[in-house]
Amino acid sequence: MGGWARFRGLFGPDPERDVDDELSFHIEMRTRELETRGESPERARELALARFGSLERPRAECVAIDERRGRRHARAETMSELRQDVAFALRTLARAPVFTLVAVATLALGIGANTAIFSVVHAVLLEALPFRDADRLHEISTVYPDGTSYPLSPPDFMSVQADARHFEDVVALRDGPVTLLGRGDPQEVVAAQVSAGFAEFVGLRFVLGRPFARAEHDPGRHRVAVLTHGFWQRELGGARDVVGRTLDIEGDPYEVIGVLAEGSTIAPAIDLYAPLLYDERYDATTARGRRGEFLTVIGRARPGVAAEQLEADLRRVGSELAARFPDTNGRLTFGAAPLRERLVGDVRTPLLVLLGAVGFVLLIACANVANLLLARASARQGELAVRAALGAGRGRLVRQLLTESTVLSLLGGAAGLLLAHWATAALVRAQAGNIPRVEEVGLDGTVLLATLAISLLTGLVFGTVPALQATRPGLTLALREEGRGVVGRAGQRLRSGLIVAEIAVAVVLLVGAGLLLRSFAELTRVDPGFRTEQALSFRIQMTPARYPEGEQVRAFADRLIAQLERLPGVTAVAAASSLPLTGVSSLISFAVTGAPPPPDDVNAEISILSVTPGYFGTLGARIASGRDFTEHDRGDAPLVALINEAGARKWFPGENPVGRRVTAVNDYEVVGVVSDVLQENPGTPAVAELYVPYQQRSTRTLRVVVRSRGAPATMMAAIRSELRQLDETMAVRDLAPLEQLVSRSVAQPRFFMALLALFAAGALLLAAIGVFGVLNYSVTQRARELSIRMALGARAPQVVGMIVRRSVLLAGAGLAIGVAAALALGGVLRSQLFQVGVVDPLTLGAVALVLLAVVVLASWLPARRAAAMDPGLMLRG
Amino acid sequence: MATTDQDILRGTLDLLVLKALSWGASHGYDVARWIEFATDDALAVGEGTLYPALHRLEERGWVSARWGVSENNRRAKFYALTARGRAQLRVETESWTRYARAVFAALRAPALP
Repeated sequence: MGGWARFRGLFGPDPERDVDDELSFHIEMRTRELETRGESPERARELALARFGSLERPRAECVAIDERRGRRHARAETMSELRQDVAFALRTLARAPVFTLVAVATLALGIGANTAIFSVVHAVLLEALPFRDADRLHEISTVYPDGTSYPLSPPDFMSVQADARHFEDVVALRDGPVTLLGRGDPQEVVAAQVSAGFAEFVGLRFVLGRPFARAEHDPGRHRVAVLTHGFWQRELGGARDVVGRTLDIEGDPYEVIGVLAEGSTIAPAIDLYAPLLYDERYDATTARGRRGEFLTVIGRARPGVAAEQLEADLRRVGSELAARFPDTNGRLTFGAAPLRERLVGDVRTPLLVLLGAVGFVLLIACANVANLLLARASARQGELAVRAALGAGRGRLVRQLLTESTVLSLLGGAAGLLLAHWATAALVRAQAGNIPRVEEVGLDGTVLLATLAISLLTGLVFGTVPALQATRPGLTLALREEGRGVVGRAGQRLRSGLIVAEIAVAVVLLVGAGLLLRSFAELTRVDPGFRTEQALSFRIQMTPARYPEGEQVRAFADRLIAQLERLPGVTAVAAASSLPLTGVSSLISFAVTGAPPPPDDVNAEISILSVTPGYFGTLGARIASGRDFTEHDRGDAPLVALINEAGARKWFPGENPVGRRVTAVNDYEVVGVVSDVLQENPGTPAVAELYVPYQQRSTRTLRVVVRSRGAPATMMAAIRSELRQLDETMAVRDLAPLEQLVSRSVAQPRFFMALLALFAAGALLLAAIGVFGVLNYSVTQRARELSIRMALGARAPQVVGMIVRRSVLLAGAGLAIGVAAALALGGVLRSQLFQVGVVDPLTLGAVALVLLAVVVLASWLPARRAAAMDPGLMLRG
Repeated sequence: MATTDQDILRGTLDLLVLKALSWGASHGYDVARWIEFATDDALAVGEGTLYPALHRLEERGWVSARWGVSENNRRAKFYALTARGRAQLRVETESWTRYARAVFAALRAPALP
């Protein structure tokens, strides 16, 4: 043992060795005793060993006991040390309430923003769709030669279902609004008609009743429906005896046969399900009905089948159909895209950008808190030095300081969780930004774990450098130089570096937000092609039960417009099958009489709208050439049409369409050209549209525009009461000012822009606080030096200039790095920008100006303080 | 007969060790010698079992141990009763006494009248 024994303690106790020592001591003592009684040494040892009995068993037992005790002891020691550290940290933090409050608030904002955005990303992008084997579900679409995708027609659905080999199963659904009667005011609900086996395919769960039977898809049987949980609760108060009751849907009785479990539905908007009725169109062997496309088709890929194989499979089905039915399917094929992509593909990039942005904000928050800790470290030099002198090792001190920063970050995380809870609840309530699946957002176990992880990581990130800095060797110097601080030049450099990094990160966010802001401004500058002021619109649905014939539909439309025109304050009323910004309306195949057929890759379809006379005037669109519709363009008059400018450019390049004849199911004479209006949103250019008189092509869906001088609220009430008088079974839908169509069309870009702007503003504020903190601290540190300078004749403006100059230097360095990083990262925003390049001098210039202004402002207070110091007082004191 | 006595005593090894240490700290060998002297050599074969007992008592906190130097200048582990160990010894002594008295009384009792 010798020299080693001294060091044994360093490596902790060694139970085996100790037990061996102890047992051999016993044997030796016994041997010696027997020897004194006259035994020979060999005999004595033999007897001693015999008396002892088994050596191995007690030895093993003792070692096991000691090791167990050692482990327990070590654990208890660690726990008690941790408890001590935490208690000490809490006491220390409580003694510096301002510091603690600022640090916790900063962290709460950073962690809260991260938790909120992560919970959205988690629910929308990460969490599996709530369907059986959701990752293998693909939406199948009809693909035209120009690459555009459409739903499937019933016969095409039957063909794909029968012939696609790489899909286990294929189902179809058709959803749309229907009017529910017999329950007070008529109301519009969303019904989904689904193909046979749909419930099993998706894995819908039932709380009551059963799925549809195969026979219930045959036309002519009595109708049945399954309710979603939400509809059941909302409309029927969750009545348990609902199965067997009858609902009146547009005059047809539907027997309720089941209720779905909560959250078990293919889309949250759906209120009830009904069987898709397999009429004569659902026939894979005929050409009839192949180009009437309205079925959303979903297929489940066989396990292990790659996307390319699915595509190839569907192309094969497409070309077989093209060969068999050249007239209807000659130029078409089918394609597939993962269902998740279809549902959330649009918001993936914006959400990931936001996630990155909040990550940046948290980094800035970390830098700020690290700076606070560094500043505090100098104030605590004395305390740390005393503890070091009393024998606390550097590891022990670092552990203590890291415990303190972890306690801070956990407090921040807890507060952040509250903020995130509040923010996500508000987000879900407001349905802001039209984000798909947003109703699933919430703080679940995964999100809580993520928050805990973020908090712990945050504590390490902002705590490590200050802890190492504060405890670095040479600490005892501090005992002698109390207050002057070890945090000298190296500390100053570190803090400046943190500030530069903060500013750079803030610049990246500002540039991103600036680009989105510019892009959004461009979006709102786009002329919608119609006037939104002082106009309301609403939608009605004329049910086949009540309006079986076209004549009745047209007569009602006439009567409705005439009644509304008589309302006081109303200046104009018109109606159409579809309004601007409600999406591209129904597409039908189109041809110009006497013109050669278009090339194969041009989609020979046009969006058709039926409008009443005066529609364009009421809306504020312009007749570019030719004439408007008149009261004389009725059923018995020659069929006439107007084409929009986009249509004129596409189908009559360099020609005047007025007077030409076109085919869109029927033959029309083009009598005029009308200016373009926005259809999808301001970022999507107008497509070709053909307008025909409502009296020559009526639709059961009617959207009405009412232009008036009155207050919108009064007008809305008047419109409702007018409709009740005309038909008390008719539901009024989407009654709102026309502006709402515009604002809703840019809701998503506005939402992302607003959030990124919010985060960028937060980042800028944090960076400004950081600059202020560092400069303020350095003024305190340099008080003596500054006083000497002033005593030697430096004037206040010079001192102010010195401080401000330093802040401008920091800002300049941060700006340069930040702009470079923003340019490098700009690509991720490209898909979100409208008419703004990633390198936008205006944005960069504005960001530079704002940043410099804020930084100079942040340095102003410390500079004033420095200039106001009384040199005499300082030097004498 | 002697074997039975030893079996009973061995079952109360913990108590014997506590008693052995009640006169002051000592190492394992001295504890063994006291038990040899006090019990007519109950541990004659298998002194080794004494050590797990000592370590167990240490784990329970009835006995504390520290390394010291023996009379003959050897490194040896010394055990001493802790306050809790002393209390335990009192409790066990009482209960053993009560038990032994009861058994003794029963053995001397006459047949039912």
